Amino acid sequence: MNKKKNRVKLDISDKIIRVFGYIFVTIYALACVFPFLLILGTSFSTEAIVRIEGVQLFPAEFTTFAYEMILKGGTIWGSYAVTIIMTASGTALGLSIIAMTGYALQRKDFPYRNIISFYIYFTSLFSAGLVPYYLLMTQTYKLKDSYLAVFLPLLMTPWLIILMKNFVKAIPHEMTESGKIDGAGDFKIFISIILPMLKPALATIGLFLALGYWNEWYQSSLFLSSRVTYKPLQYNLYEVINKIQSLKNSIAAQYITLDDMPTETLKMATAMMSTGPIIFLYPFIQKYFIGGITIGAVKG
Amino acid sequence: MKKFFALLLVILMMVSMAACGKSKDGDTDTTNKTGNKKSDSGKTDDSDTGAIDTSEHVVITYMTTGDKPTNGATEEVMVELNKILKEKVNAELEIYYIGWTDYLSNYNLTLAQMDGTVDLVGTASDWLDAWPNAKNGAFLELSEDMLKTYAPKTWAQVPTENWEMSKYNGEIYLMPEDNFAQWINHGFIYRMDWAKEAGLTNGAHTWDDMTTYFAYVKEAYPNVIPWNSDGSHNIQLASGWMASHTNFLPIDGITAGGLYGGSRDDLYTVWSPFYEGPELVEFAKLMKKWDDIGVWKTDVLNNTGVDNREEMYLGQTSADQHHTETWYGTVEPEMRKRYDIDTGFFYFGEESSNVVSLNITHGAMAISAASKNPERALMVYDLIRNDEECYRLFNYGLQGKQYDLDENGYRIQPEGYNNDTDAITINYWWGRNDDLELKDGKRNHEAYEKLQEEYDKVKMTYPYGQFVAEVSSIQAQINNINEIHTNYMSQIAYGKYNGSAEDIVAEYRAALKQAGFEDVVNELQTQVNDLYK
Amino acid sequence: MKTIANKLDRSSVITRKKRGFFRNIVRHKTLLFMCTPAILFFFAFSYMPLPGIYVAFVKYNYRGGIFGSKFVGFDNFKFLYTSGKLFDLTRNTILYNLAFIILGNLVAVFMAILLNELRAKYFKKVSQTMMFLPYFISHVLVGLLVYNLLNYDYGFVNSVLTNLGLERWGPYSNAKVWPVLIVLIQLWKDTGYSSIVYFAAIMNVDSEIIESARVDGANGFQKIRYIILPSLKPTVIILLLFAMGGIVRGNFGLFYNIIGTNPMLYRTTDIIETYVYRATMTDFNFSTASAVGFYQSIIGFAMVMICNYVVKKIEPDYSLF
Repeated sequence: MNKKKNRVKLDISDKIIRVFGYIFVTIYALACVFPFLLILGTSFSTEAIVRIEGVQLFPAEFTTFAYEMILKGGTIWGSYAVTIIMTASGTALGLSIIAMTGYALQRKDFPYRNIISFYIYFTSLFSAGLVPYYLLMTQTYKLKDSYLAVFLPLLMTPWLIILMKNFVKAIPHEMTESGKIDGAGDFKIFISIILPMLKPALATIGLFLALGYWNEWYQSSLFLSSRVTYKPLQYNLYEVINKIQSLKNSIAAQYITLDDMPTETLKMATAMMSTGPIIFLYPFIQKYFIGGITIGAVKG
Repeated sequence: MKKFFALLLVILMMVSMAACGKSKDGDTDTTNKTGNKKSDSGKTDDSDTGAIDTSEHVVITYMTTGDKPTNGATEEVMVELNKILKEKVNAELEIYYIGWTDYLSNYNLTLAQMDGTVDLVGTASDWLDAWPNAKNGAFLELSEDMLKTYAPKTWAQVPTENWEMSKYNGEIYLMPEDNFAQWINHGFIYRMDWAKEAGLTNGAHTWDDMTTYFAYVKEAYPNVIPWNSDGSHNIQLASGWMASHTNFLPIDGITAGGLYGGSRDDLYTVWSPFYEGPELVEFAKLMKKWDDIGVWKTDVLNNTGVDNREEMYLGQTSADQHHTETWYGTVEPEMRKRYDIDTGFFYFGEESSNVVSLNITHGAMAISAASKNPERALMVYDLIRNDEECYRLFNYGLQGKQYDLDENGYRIQPEGYNNDTDAITINYWWGRNDDLELKDGKRNHEAYEKLQEEYDKVKMTYPYGQFVAEVSSIQAQINNINEIHTNYMSQIAYGKYNGSAEDIVAEYRAALKQAGFEDVVNELQTQVNDLYK
Repeated sequence: MKTIANKLDRSSVITRKKRGFFRNIVRHKTLLFMCTPAILFFFAFSYMPLPGIYVAFVKYNYRGGIFGSKFVGFDNFKFLYTSGKLFDLTRNTILYNLAFIILGNLVAVFMAILLNELRAKYFKKVSQTMMFLPYFISHVLVGLLVYNLLNYDYGFVNSVLTNLGLERWGPYSNAKVWPVLIVLIQLWKDTGYSSIVYFAAIMNVDSEIIESARVDGANGFQKIRYIILPSLKPTVIILLLFAMGGIVRGNFGLFYNIIGTNPMLYRTTDIIETYVYRATMTDFNFSTASAVGFYQSIIGFAMVMICNYVVKKIEPDYSLF
């Protein structure tokens, strides 16, 4: 590699660009993580310091008190359970439906593929709006205060199915043909021949789905009332930030009577705990993901 | 393109067919239900009242505002209560909580579901949308026969004129909490010790006194935020100002804001000081001053998630904005316990003696129109309102755990009572009954009664009890006006506007006019004329 | 290619049609079966609400429900139109989206080109991971981050300002600054992601072309100007056009979590989504909310159709239908 590169002499313009590159990318990358460091630093500070000096990049007085309060009780474990179960099962279920549909709709010998594709695509062109949707979900389906109201709508989007179709398109039709010659049924072909070739697609779309579930708060805000004790993580965070009662419910009972409850640092600690796991997921699928979005981006 | 439109057509047809099927189902459903109800009540008419069929065990859900408790004490109490309810009417009661944050919208949304989630609905014509919901069809019409049959004690207790005030279009929708004395006029609760330091030796009794008080606190105690509001008190403050500076009497039940009303000397001419007169400008100016002083946080409108009352207990803020009952029943004893200090209460309207006694529908119980067991719900209500055992359980909890009686018959906290583990949240504000009330031993009854006397001297009885506006023709205007009012009041009441007070008020009034404010006033005037003139 | 395949498909369908619709279904039962969950899903969550659009034309009453309430024609739209509300909301929504689309793509292309020039492998990997971070977080957290950076009493910016002896800055009571702030925040959140998309697209450029250009003596700027930028052009154009299709759909989570219910800032920050959400969930004004929603659906639909038409003219392969 190095040898190859050195073959072309670097002139001054390359050097300028490269220097610029390092500077800009460094600044940009730092700007991306800076606010997190602020939240992280503050979450380990004492409330008194935050109240007087403001948020802390490096805690002047280090304490893990806010985390202790959250961990020793309260609602965060329930929220974790709800979100993890939803994310895992929703991603798995959504991914299998999207993969099946994407494959079927890409099969050239499937006569209904155009009409079904359009049927799915149309939903992204025209939507009914919030009020009809809300009334349907609560009155017809009676999903108020049900986790299903959050789980089901996030299973798939037309865009993800189109993305999957584009991935499948890259697999030569001969693969299906050869399967047919071997006498395999459509489903068998899909499972044993196509699916293994779709790994980058599954990783990419899976990540989109998982992000959707993990970061979900909107459906929860519409459909989950205070009757539901364990809210999905991000909605739990929303409530801890905005509703004093939820903040109190989120910590261990022995601290509730505490005279000086660390409200601000508690919000920060909850934020860190609600975000952590999904960030750590990323490096594991980075390789597939970047390959995946390339195809997805170019083919819309 | 042709293909595309063909497909579109097919899809739309499919959908509309599905929709037609659905709406037809819905229609037959509702007619069936009302039909059943009618035949039910008809049946009981013929038969003996003693022979109410309660063979089927049912669950009645009671909806109230409040945050769902997490300490388990409420559930324990409900188990006891349900034992009695099962024995007497073969029913059990569940509580459906509407959390305090955005309670009004969640309350309305839950009622709008109309899926039989709730049966008994705690409601109020002034601070919860009792009448708009009744008009929207959320509440069941309660026929005299039904009430006589299933809630005989309540029927007997409420006088005829009060039933009249619970009617809309000739039908009863609400069972009013009309035998319960309380004062819930709003104002500021403040610390007497700091008020005295500020030179207010007799306490604060005007808005200007409050200015003095806040300015003093800000200066003398830099770490204290004079009033750490969460930004939601806008309409309360504005209405309070109007009570103090005009003789305006708002009519309840049109919007939560109390925008329209008459005046003390001319009850039946509808107007609004928000729309005309110099008072709003002055209010805007004073609130700007308060904002400049730093009475609240600069980012008050984004300052969600603060507990002002808790901060007052902790000495981090110096005032709380709520009503007489809260002051006397909650804040005063707590501050006395913690700091051994007096607190004072400046009530809105104090300087002009403009105090209106409660409308009887400030608290009331309604039955959801979607309830599957309205008869049994009425029977349960009759018990929790009139049966001593049920009443005490539902209001106070278990004797010996949540409350005890002292030698004077006052209600006191039993020994070892811990508010965090033992407190119950039932929030039954829709059928309390002075015949069965146990006086709170915590209170300084003498002082409380003195204040009540003071109120009684100046109070005016709420004059519009009979008037329930029919607003269907102006509902759209009212909704839009409401939105404008909320948006502008949170700016005006916290001094958060650019430019002069005159400008923002002019802008607000122009928006009101645009939204049809005058149409609403005219329509209300017509209806008031029909009723009173 | 696509159209030919379509024609082939259609002709074979026509010849087969006579032999029976059902036989066709039986023959493709497995593939049909594989599509069924998705078909049911979209029917339940996207098609079923459609008849409910009618709610925009009635005076909504709970007991009557959507189809039992009184029909009032365009009454629900009257106030929105005469008060200028509809215009304000549309303007805000469109201007924000335009800024997001144009600036977002400019910055992303810029960053992608710079990333492509870097050689230090480890640096590249770490910086990419860092740039991705904001894309992974929820809007709830974004709201919290922004509040802690900017709030008047203990925000980071104000801590720095006071330490420098400067006056505090209160953006939460100044509507004018938010268009800039919100655009910056949106760029912060999503540009890392899109620069990596463009970066990946650049990596697909045939390295032979670049090499030969270098041999011909092109300098670094010329390489970017004449090879890399043109190679990105189709991707950029297609992405831009698709983004334009969604120009009346606002980013609800972003606005709602940052602005919340601070009416002082609505003038410059209220978009269609936030208005509809508040009208539905807070002010409980179903009729007005659904009228705005209906309007948005119609405009949105028109925009997609127009943009798709343009895409079809430029690059038929990429058109959606």
